[in-house]
Amino acid sequence: MLRLKYTLPVALLLVGVAVFFFGGTHDEKIVRVDMSVQEELIVPEPEPALTYAYLPQYSHKVSYLRHSRLIDYLAKETGLRIRQVFPDTFEEHRNMVDRGEIDISFSNPMTYIRIANSGAKAFARIIEPSGSPTFRGQIITRKDNRSIRNLKDCIGKSWIAVDPLSAGGYLYPLGLFYENGITTSDFREISFAPGPGGKQEKAVLAVYAGKYDIASIREGTLEIVKDKININKIRIIAETKPYPGWVYAARKGLDPEVIQKISNAMFKMSMDDPKQARILSQAGMRGIIPARDNDYDSVRELSKELGLSTLYNKQGGTE
Amino acid sequence: MRLFNRLRFRTKINIGLTLIVGFTSLIIALFVIRMASDALIEQSRKRGQVLAGNLALRAEDPLLSVDLLRLESMVNELKKADDEIVYAFIMDDKLRVIANTFGEGFPVNLKYVNSDNGTAINEVTVDTGKERIFDFAAPIFISDKRLGTVRVGLSRVGIQSIVSNLIYAICALTGAVLLLAVVASTHFARSMTIQLGALQKHAEDIVATYLGPGLTKDEKPKSCADRFIGFLRQTKRGDEVQELTETFDAMAMSLECHIEDLQITEMDLTRQKELLKTIINVSPDFVSLLGPQLTYLAVNQPLYNYLGSTEEKIIGKTDKEFFPPEIAKVRMDEARQVLETGRTINKEHRDDYDKDSPARWFHTIRVPVYAESKKIIGVLSTARDITELKSYQAQLIQSQKMESVGKLAGGVAHEINTPLGIILGYAQLLQDDFDADDQVAKDLAIIEKQARVCRKIVADLLGFSRQTESEKMPMCFNNSILEVVQLVSHTLKLEHVDISTELDDRFPIIHGAPEKLKQVWLNLLSNAMEAIEGKGGIHITTKLDTYSMTITAVFADTGHGIEPKNINTIFDPFYSTKPVGKGTGLGLSVSFGIIKDHGGSIEALSPLPKCMLREYGLPENSGPGTMFKVVLPLDEISDEEDSSPYSI
Repeated sequence: MLRLKYTLPVALLLVGVAVFFFGGTHDEKIVRVDMSVQEELIVPEPEPALTYAYLPQYSHKVSYLRHSRLIDYLAKETGLRIRQVFPDTFEEHRNMVDRGEIDISFSNPMTYIRIANSGAKAFARIIEPSGSPTFRGQIITRKDNRSIRNLKDCIGKSWIAVDPLSAGGYLYPLGLFYENGITTSDFREISFAPGPGGKQEKAVLAVYAGKYDIASIREGTLEIVKDKININKIRIIAETKPYPGWVYAARKGLDPEVIQKISNAMFKMSMDDPKQARILSQAGMRGIIPARDNDYDSVRELSKELGLSTLYNKQGGTE
Repeated sequence: MRLFNRLRFRTKINIGLTLIVGFTSLIIALFVIRMASDALIEQSRKRGQVLAGNLALRAEDPLLSVDLLRLESMVNELKKADDEIVYAFIMDDKLRVIANTFGEGFPVNLKYVNSDNGTAINEVTVDTGKERIFDFAAPIFISDKRLGTVRVGLSRVGIQSIVSNLIYAICALTGAVLLLAVVASTHFARSMTIQLGALQKHAEDIVATYLGPGLTKDEKPKSCADRFIGFLRQTKRGDEVQELTETFDAMAMSLECHIEDLQITEMDLTRQKELLKTIINVSPDFVSLLGPQLTYLAVNQPLYNYLGSTEEKIIGKTDKEFFPPEIAKVRMDEARQVLETGRTINKEHRDDYDKDSPARWFHTIRVPVYAESKKIIGVLSTARDITELKSYQAQLIQSQKMESVGKLAGGVAHEINTPLGIILGYAQLLQDDFDADDQVAKDLAIIEKQARVCRKIVADLLGFSRQTESEKMPMCFNNSILEVVQLVSHTLKLEHVDISTELDDRFPIIHGAPEKLKQVWLNLLSNAMEAIEGKGGIHITTKLDTYSMTITAVFADTGHGIEPKNINTIFDPFYSTKPVGKGTGLGLSVSFGIIKDHGGSIEALSPLPKCMLREYGLPENSGPGTMFKVVLPLDEISDEEDSSPYSI
């Protein structure tokens, strides 16, 4: 007969194995699904709503994050159904406004003067976080790049800009270079940040990574990327003169009553109200003030100086 | 268990190692498989979560821009990129599928099986009936707004396939290890069993009395000491079994040496035992040793021959087995007495153990045997046959008696002789007074004759009484016989016994005592006459042998003969077949003494050979008959010179 000294270890071992295999089993939720029951999918149609688009200078997500609360606020205040749409490019944004797919466009001045040509009309503009209703472009380089001290030093260097249609990210700095007698041909290379969104950040990152000597960005971008890079290693070479800030424009033919409702809701917002202040801060503005089309004449002038009409015509094909 | 015990040692080692390796491998395999499969599943789950999370992140922008094409391509790319991904689809915040990998037919139920509203990636296992799928639901959140959900289905087939491969690999590895273990164990067991086999061979040699190693049966055995020295020089270093073998061999050799010593001692002991046994057995005495239970511990050959048994049958038994109850009781009582008292018994007794044999006298001594603790542990008995001694004792007593009787008879005869002479003289004188034909003269002649007979008897008595005084002289052998025949012829006639003689006519002269010899003849004739009951015959023959210078007298009768068992005892003193009062039993004994005194021999033969009956003219229809043959030398031979044993 088997003795205890043999049976005990074997029994303990078996118990251990049993505990290991059955006691420690991972909790698993098993759901039976009959895959044979199928349906044909229909592409969901978006519900009819007032469309709101933010010029895609940042990624869609950032765009959404910045404006979703504001849109919610506006919808709530106006009682309108408002939906944010996300064009991938500036051009697409402009085209969508032109086509009437964007009812309310929030764009930079350069884009505005372009869509204004097709009938869009500015009705509000923002106060920058700095408190000014204007904003500037900035030319930056790595702090350790000792060969670039001023604008003249940028000659022969590689330049990454945000977008050919970017105001603060390209056109304003380009205007500054023109004022200083520097043209696009003076640069070794002018590149634009790739991709549909996040172009401001990409321009900063490209300089930070040392891929390009200088970058042109919108004022306030460094604040946005401070979590991604050490902005202490970035030096601002020059800033452009201030231009009117971003503008809200209604597409051609939008019901003035709607414009009025939205305008009222926008203008009502105040940094004094903590709730609204949070909405405004998230949207990267301190407030929204009324605007008129001629507020952007300075920009039109710059555009003319830079000869962007041709460019716009070439790109947009409308003028 | 018996079956297992019967297995070979090699097989047992193989089975044991196989079980150990197999069991260990099984346990390890089970744990490894379980851990590996758990790790793989966990890894797969994490991978699924990462994939779903990534897709959710990547889907944020297209979802915001309602770029269905990008979403569609994202899910399809994801599915293409990994074979294990069964499906992927993206739902908007209203649970409407806006991109999927199913093509057109989307499983309706799949949409709702993993609909956790939390922010974390939720996981369920979908059982489709054909396979099991890890379903990961990653919510697409931007800020606190849920834009939709990404669902990714990861097949478990791949994981199971990897687990199966792992199981196969572990099984194959276990098998290989098992095979190696069996090969190694076989080799190990073989080396073990070779040594054990050598050990067994040596053990068999020991059983076959070939002790020690390295000695084949053909080899000439050396002395134990030489082999031991040789073995010690040859010792090899090895493992425990080798050491055991050598220890065993050393033990065997030591044993052999001891056995040799024992054999020598045994031979000595055997020799001593044989010597002792021989001494005891050649002793004419009956020697026996009784134990405390009065059983025989040892007997010598004379005793077991006397008892008519063998030593083996006697050892361990008591006197009850061999003696009549009354004799056995006496013997056992004596032995018990010696055991209890420690006193020696010394006695003479007559033993009637064998009724068919003549009674024998024994001188028995029973002495106690003491152990070292002074305790009596047995009785040693010696019994010496003193029958002959007793017979001589009796003969001596009888001789003394006869001598007294002879002296008395001689005195009486001497006294009677004178009156008889006077009677004879006067009878002769008176005859002269009467005529020969006168009746008185005839009566007187009868008186004279009977008186002469009386004087003859008296003369014989005188002769008998003077036997010690008789002297040997040259005498005629035939005449001494004839005188006796003449003396007894009348009596024989009365008893109807015919007597005839055939005497050697060369009349041999011997040197002897005539009266004593006549007494011998008288005894022989007297015995013959008494043996012939009724009618019979006696024939006496004498024959001279000049070659051996002896004279032989043969007395043949047709009497009842002598029993074969008594033929050797008839010359013993006082032996007699006659009833009490009819004879003393001294006749033949005395005759024997006389013949021996003359340097001759006397022997008896019974029954008488038939040829002799015819030769002597005796009646053939009579009894078996007896023949006494007396041989006497012609020249006197002195007693000193006569050293030849008598032949009876």
